Amino acid sequence: MTTTPRERAEAAAREDPLQVVATAGCVTVRVWQLPVRVIHWTIFSSVVVLSLTGFYIGTPYLSVGSDPRFVMGWARAAHNLAAFVFIAAIVARIIWAFTGNKWSRWDQFVPISKARRQNAWAGFRYYTFLTRTPPPGAGHNALAGATYLVVLAMFVVQIFTGMALLGLEAGGAPSALFGWVFAVLPIPWVRFVHHLIMWTTWGFVVHHVYSAVLMDTEEKTGLISSIFTGWKRLPADRL
Amino acid sequence: MLETDTRRDSIVESLLARGVTRRRFLEFCAATTAILALPVTYEARIAEALETAEKPTLVWLEFQDCAGNSESFLRARDPGVADIVLDILSVDYHETIMAAAGHQAEAAREEAIARGGHIVVVEGSVPTAHGGVYCTIGGKTAQQILAETVQGAAAVINTGTCSAYGGIPAAAPNPTGAVGVPELVSGVPVVNLPGCPMNVDNLTATIVHYLTFGALPATDGVGRPLFAYGERIHDHCERRAHFDAGQFALEWGDEGHRKGWCLYKMGCKGPSTFHNCPSQRWNGGTSWPIGAGHGCVGCSEPFFWDTMTPIYGRLPAPPGFGVTTSLEKIGAGIVGLTALGFGAHGVAKAVQRKRGGDAVQTPVEIDRSALRTGSDEEGGER
Repeated sequence: MTTTPRERAEAAAREDPLQVVATAGCVTVRVWQLPVRVIHWTIFSSVVVLSLTGFYIGTPYLSVGSDPRFVMGWARAAHNLAAFVFIAAIVARIIWAFTGNKWSRWDQFVPISKARRQNAWAGFRYYTFLTRTPPPGAGHNALAGATYLVVLAMFVVQIFTGMALLGLEAGGAPSALFGWVFAVLPIPWVRFVHHLIMWTTWGFVVHHVYSAVLMDTEEKTGLISSIFTGWKRLPADRL
Repeated sequence: MLETDTRRDSIVESLLARGVTRRRFLEFCAATTAILALPVTYEARIAEALETAEKPTLVWLEFQDCAGNSESFLRARDPGVADIVLDILSVDYHETIMAAAGHQAEAAREEAIARGGHIVVVEGSVPTAHGGVYCTIGGKTAQQILAETVQGAAAVINTGTCSAYGGIPAAAPNPTGAVGVPELVSGVPVVNLPGCPMNVDNLTATIVHYLTFGALPATDGVGRPLFAYGERIHDHCERRAHFDAGQFALEWGDEGHRKGWCLYKMGCKGPSTFHNCPSQRWNGGTSWPIGAGHGCVGCSEPFFWDTMTPIYGRLPAPPGFGVTTSLEKIGAGIVGLTALGFGAHGVAKAVQRKRGGDAVQTPVEIDRSALRTGSDEEGGER
């Protein structure tokens, strides 16, 4: 392609005027479509509920005394409910990775193309202080995308171990579909992994928020607000 | 009974000969029907089967064991039922309780094998390391004895966790290479009655099931009969209401413990263990571990001991951190260290930014001037 960045932005605007607003040398792009944002915040809020209730279930720090409040019963009910919301959000995001716009597609998370590999290398150099320039791109940089793939893997393990543990009590479909987990890992170790992933998830949250703030101050593309509004403003050649 | 008599009595004949009344016999049939979770109408069918069935020959092998399952076997409920249990079976070989010794004893085992159709009960794990030298009887290794004895057998019943899954002898580092019987036996139906020890009611019920239906009971994924191991201890625990209410014993002898609250925080493995202890109980139905105020240790699960320790901790100890470090501490440490690490990274990035200039050029350059201009000029317009 021998077009200028400006021409590319205009072409993109013609294709989908709702998503791209071209300004002098700069474009404002709706990078994150509504489903992506809704799924993001659904995952976040369900993870908060799951972690709070899950920590209580694993380590019941309250013993309610002689006036029972059914605390554990409610904690477990909330945990199970939030778990199904979480699973629905993860499934929806996987579907959206094949139906959404180019910044939400599956190939953003798997650095297999040459361009994505180069982008990952650029990201690595940025994080290791070898350069001040953050990796280019409008959506996830390749390193961030790969991180989300690891997070997805953690979430899948979390769902499998969680459903297997639900099957212990509920029997039925969870037991039939996920009972095999206990052939791989004995029950206490399944719990162990389930607890450990909760903690590594919060380790990820720390990293995720930090990197978002870092990149936002570095690029000034409105990265933080983009997860609420969907829009980013960036140079047209980064599209 | 323990002499090697070749005459095969019917069960009911020998019961009557031993002074067990018909009423007592029917009570036993009713209790066994309940243990097997069968409809009450099966009571008659069981009674009929036991009246007509020949006493099955039982060969009881002990390998790397503590004889705890033999203890359990001999302490069946009360004398009347003990008689029944012992009389349902023709125990032709049992090292601990047989009168014969030496060559006579081995001859009894060989005779039973020669007749065929016998039930082999195994107690204890089988060592496989170093040619099986860790357990030999009469010059033969446990593995050899097992292989010989299961020839022509109708079924193998593993009593206790050791013979089912290796149990305590197989706990890390497993110096004797101990394994459970199912790993060594093929071609003969095998059923596992794990527990430390197994509950004799479940052994009796398994044998009665075999006599009544001609087959071993249906089992779960790890070879345990569903009638005895189909339900989780936690779900049938008398303290479960305290769990749901959030009432926990926090220390031995504290208020919660004295009031019989849930032992979850004391490391109870009831949530990870399948067994009918809460309903069947022990010592003739008098009590059971959780009823007596101690948490379940998960003795009837595969990989007991390794996966169920620490006994007084909720989860296995994180490998490499020592037994006193909990997973939650390590988890909080993971989050804390991540925060520290990225905090330091942020400071370093700020310093790098302040110094300005690029150490190295990126291969993919972006037009940062356009970005700056764009946001400055168009800021707030959208």
